[in-house]
Amino acid sequence: MAEKNTPLLAVLQLLRKYNLKGTEDILRKEASLGDVEFENLDLPEVELASILTSHHTESDPYSYEFAYDNLKKFIENSLDIYKHELSTLLYPVFVHMYLALILYDHNEHAANFLEKFGVEQEDYYQDDLKRLAIVKHKDQIKGNELAEIYSTNKFVVQLSRDASSQLKRFLQEQKSSTVIINIINNHIQVEVHDGPGRTQAQVRSTTGGLLGEATRNENRTKVYYGLLKEPDIQVLPAPVEDEEEAEETPDKPKKKKAKKENIFMKKPKSDPNAPPNDRIPLPELKETDKIEKGKAIREASKRIQLGPETLPSICFYTLLNSGHTAICTDICDGSTLLAVGFSNSCIKVWTLTPVKLRGMKSAEKLLDIDREAGDVLVRMMEERDRDTCRSLYGHSGPVYKVAFDPFKTMLLSASEDSTVRLWSLQCWTCLVVYRGHVWPVWDVRWSPHGHYFVTSGHDRTARLWATDHHQPLRIFSGHLSDVDCVQFHPNSNYVATGSSDRTVRLWDCLTGTQVRIMTGHKSTIFTLAFSVCGRWLASGGNGELIVWDISTGTPGAILPPLHTAPIHALAFSRDGTILSSGSLDCSIKLWDFNAITEEANGEEVSTNNAVQKEDKYLLRSFATKNSPIKGLHFTRRNLLLAVGSYEGSS
Amino acid sequence: MGDSEFAYGSSMSVDSMKTIAESIGIANLGDDAAKELADDVTYRLKLIVQDSMKFMHHSKRQKLSITDIDNALKIKNIECQYGFIQPDSLPFRFASGGGRELHFVEEKEVDLSDILSAPPPKIPLDVSVRAHWLSVDGVQPTVPENPPPLSKEAQKLESVDPISKLSKPTNKDAAGKPMCGKAARLKASESVHVKQLATHELSVEQQLYYKEITEACVGSDEGRRAEALQSLACDPGLHEMLPRMCTFISEGVKVNVVQNNLALLIYLMRMVKALLDNQSLYLEKYLHELIPSVSTCIVSRQLCLRPEMDNHWALRDFAARLMAQICKTFNTSTNNLQTRVTRLFAKALQCPSQTNNETGVGPSMVTSMKESEKTPLASLYGAVQGLAELGPEVIKVFILPRVRWLGERVEGALSGLGGADRLAAGNLKHQLLKVLAPVVRQLRQPPDLPEEYKRDYGYLGPSLQQAVSKIRSSPSGGGGGGAVAVVTCTPPLVPAAPSPSPSHHTSHISHGAKTVETIATRNVVISAAPAPQSPAPSTPPPQKFVIVSQQKAPQMVSAQPASGGHIVVHSSQPAIVRSQNVQSVVVTSGPAGGAAGGPAGGAPQKVVVVGVQPPHHLAPAAPAQPAALTAAHVSQAPVSVVAKPVFARGGAAPPPPELDDLSHLA
Repeated sequence: MAEKNTPLLAVLQLLRKYNLKGTEDILRKEASLGDVEFENLDLPEVELASILTSHHTESDPYSYEFAYDNLKKFIENSLDIYKHELSTLLYPVFVHMYLALILYDHNEHAANFLEKFGVEQEDYYQDDLKRLAIVKHKDQIKGNELAEIYSTNKFVVQLSRDASSQLKRFLQEQKSSTVIINIINNHIQVEVHDGPGRTQAQVRSTTGGLLGEATRNENRTKVYYGLLKEPDIQVLPAPVEDEEEAEETPDKPKKKKAKKENIFMKKPKSDPNAPPNDRIPLPELKETDKIEKGKAIREASKRIQLGPETLPSICFYTLLNSGHTAICTDICDGSTLLAVGFSNSCIKVWTLTPVKLRGMKSAEKLLDIDREAGDVLVRMMEERDRDTCRSLYGHSGPVYKVAFDPFKTMLLSASEDSTVRLWSLQCWTCLVVYRGHVWPVWDVRWSPHGHYFVTSGHDRTARLWATDHHQPLRIFSGHLSDVDCVQFHPNSNYVATGSSDRTVRLWDCLTGTQVRIMTGHKSTIFTLAFSVCGRWLASGGNGELIVWDISTGTPGAILPPLHTAPIHALAFSRDGTILSSGSLDCSIKLWDFNAITEEANGEEVSTNNAVQKEDKYLLRSFATKNSPIKGLHFTRRNLLLAVGSYEGSS
Repeated sequence: MGDSEFAYGSSMSVDSMKTIAESIGIANLGDDAAKELADDVTYRLKLIVQDSMKFMHHSKRQKLSITDIDNALKIKNIECQYGFIQPDSLPFRFASGGGRELHFVEEKEVDLSDILSAPPPKIPLDVSVRAHWLSVDGVQPTVPENPPPLSKEAQKLESVDPISKLSKPTNKDAAGKPMCGKAARLKASESVHVKQLATHELSVEQQLYYKEITEACVGSDEGRRAEALQSLACDPGLHEMLPRMCTFISEGVKVNVVQNNLALLIYLMRMVKALLDNQSLYLEKYLHELIPSVSTCIVSRQLCLRPEMDNHWALRDFAARLMAQICKTFNTSTNNLQTRVTRLFAKALQCPSQTNNETGVGPSMVTSMKESEKTPLASLYGAVQGLAELGPEVIKVFILPRVRWLGERVEGALSGLGGADRLAAGNLKHQLLKVLAPVVRQLRQPPDLPEEYKRDYGYLGPSLQQAVSKIRSSPSGGGGGGAVAVVTCTPPLVPAAPSPSPSHHTSHISHGAKTVETIATRNVVISAAPAPQSPAPSTPPPQKFVIVSQQKAPQMVSAQPASGGHIVVHSSQPAIVRSQNVQSVVVTSGPAGGAAGGPAGGAPQKVVVVGVQPPHHLAPAAPAQPAALTAAHVSQAPVSVVAKPVFARGGAAPPPPELDDLSHLA
């Protein structure tokens, strides 16, 4: 009964909407419909429109197949320069035809349609098709994540001006069948861009998103991707260098000074792309933080310059006896601590240096300490503690991410129990539980300047927090599926997110708006990393690795898919010359990042063939012994630390 | 059609719905209802599986687990399925009947009292972190923690199709496998690649390693030999030296068989064992060198200078076990390795007048043959041993039919004059009984009548009958055919060996000049004085016994796979990164002295007693190689193995452990 009445009900709804009471009553009488059915019907606006406009095709499921065939023929016969752009239309048209067939209860035809044309779709859409294929009945459309996304959003297709006029001409010729016209009108947003039609490679590089490509308008906003001036550095060098001179032979520091001056010379030069320093209020540095910073600078001066000729050494930390229980790892900025989150909701922290992990003294003992003493920080720690590993308990679900703050005093963890916890590395207890996410939290990252952190989760949002607020400061919503990973920009003004909807987005922390949407990934994005200079963003998916240019929001380079399993770790060397990627296929690959950026800057001079590219970008690959890589970290001196868990020989 | 159906998913069948409905008490579910249910269940199951994939990805795994499903249910506000967490996958069982086919998961009833009374399971090992260098300045060091530079598959491919190496693009090094030092350096000048195939050149380090290893393996320093064998057994990246190693072994065997240099042969066999144990090597290419060498050590007419004295039997046993291992590892349908090896041994067992034997014409013919035409007894022993190691089926088919003839040979030799022959015959007889008894036990029904045995098996019949009934009566003999492989070795037949008694071993301290090398803390070295009742007049007075005991520690290996990653030299500990069970136990054969005392603990232990001749009785056999000179000090050692380790334990000992692996010996 419902199937017969769907259009009638839709008409009723329309009448109700325009408040045409009299007509509604007449219709109701004539069709002898009760009030009850009407209440049940709350079709979305778009569906309503499509039902009403395509009413007469409803009875003819064969017209869909015919229309799709026609569209395909038109695209095949069009000129080469338009062909590739136009072919991006096929997938959305196909999906909506399928959904329409289901909606009109032509379930058999829908299944046939899917079987016949499904295999022709691009291979990166096949996973989506499989997910869509489980919708076999119209009741299932409502409540199905993917079907709802498709029916409530418009799929974006970019066409050149000529291609779009070709399309228009074709649609006008198809007067007999309005199926395609309806779908294009209701569900597809055609973005017309000036300039010549794009090549196959160009089209391929940006397609793949759940809802097609990003529109150009969305990426117009200026992004301040430059680095912040480091105000504290001016204060610090003097004491640092004093220390150094005291430590080392008198003739050596001279060289160092010269080098260091270089570092300082570079930074104060104001970067035209840098945001003002006070754009985001940043926390004042504490005394202890300054010491840590000082250490960092001193270490940095001993850094080895890396390049294609001088590859880094890799120290591999194997987690033994962990099986599949170890999930995430993090190494603190100073490379002294290693944290691992486990599926049994426990977190373990190891020290990687001979320094033991000490807890703070009890309150009574702390009273006895002279607070003015120079070494108060040392004195307040219990000197009897000699642990090399400490466990933190509190979560009630698998821990999906742990993160050390830049100053090594706190640790954040995100878990399946939908909470984020802040732990103190001095008391070794939990300080705060941040509740806000509704479902599992997948990722958490600190701002490089501390204080702020950002989380993302299954609830399709990313949230910005400050450690002293129990509520999020910003909620970044817009992703169509899980937000799987987040990353703070080095200047703390932006947050990048990667999602299962196969887009990477960049959000402004100040305004909370989306400033970039980057499409081109063909699979879920699992990890993100900003380059040291702040302009590039590397993102890793299921074997794919793409480097984005944030200034334009376009893919700077698509690295050859040499990883055969999801990439879960990315790290830039401290001098920004090498990008390392670690994957579940038990290998670490080193990429020549200078070559990648040069290529992207020279932009499309000539698209070399893939083999040559492989040669050019990939420097070396290292296999581990059945230990999937879970974390990568460059020390300040450019030694690469990798963490993986040994999964036994088999 | 079928393809696309597969691509876009399968669905629950109406039949399953009906079956499930029946199982919960709904007898007749309508077809429509079942169809409706099946569709809905399919849809919901798929949704749940989709969501659980997310949890799998975020747990950084590539295999879906039950906890993922649980988590997916949780975010849908459905209660988890409790009690399904299991380490391995649940096997589906299949049943059909009444025209219906059914897949189900077997649910066993568990007796709670069993679980309660069982000892608590072992506490899982704590997670620990271990650091190693994955790369040093862009070069991956070949340490056991890193994967072997050339995987076994690649080695295999190379052996099957050597051209593939040439045709591979040069960037393969950069893209695929890590490189060892030399290749990394060569990468700079890319032209060199082609040459490698032909020359097999070794780097200076490799040459040095080769020299050191081979010297240590055949040298006199037992500690170094242990290190060397350990290195051979677990170092990755030996494949470049493998051809040379194999040639070394095969040449060594050729020379030393001629020289009758027993000790060196043992050392070479131990090298073979170590190479076989190395998981990163693909040995198939070199079997043509190894198999003849090993089989030589099994069936050769003579392996030592004085067959009546030296225990070459142990070498034959060990080599036979090696051969069995080779057959097990490398036998394929194309190379028919096991068939060929079996044929080789079977040929040795064939009496020259084969037909007579088969038709049962009998003893007169055989005895009438000239002595010289017969296969020597030692070779027969080796062949029997070699076949026995291949399993009960082989014993049944190849040894059992010849037992009558073998018995006649034994009988003849025992009644004959030659001392060596008598000894050999005794050994052969003992071996035959041990090997055959379990098989015969399986073949025959209980009433074991000596007459029947006599009729069926000839001379050996009665003894065999005794052995069989002994197995039948002992409760531990229930192992059946499998017991064949567990060998307790030739005890009292070597005249030089004393019948050891507890007092011997615990009381005597050697007067050897050198200090003892205690190989590992678990190894106890005891020396004993010669047995006074030693029958052979030529036996030199002082006999030394080295007892090496080893705790069985394979559990440790499996439980903590990578913990022992470093090769622990000087230790018999089989803790290797891969959980291969490397039993590189060392026997010190030098003059020993010092530490006495029974091995501690109730764990199963293996005890081997080796008698060593003192050096001053050396026959000045001209050694073939310089290395043999050093080895000569321990050569011609009558090696005997004590079957009952209880003796060595000194009286109050736990139940006798099995002496199953002679690998410590050799």
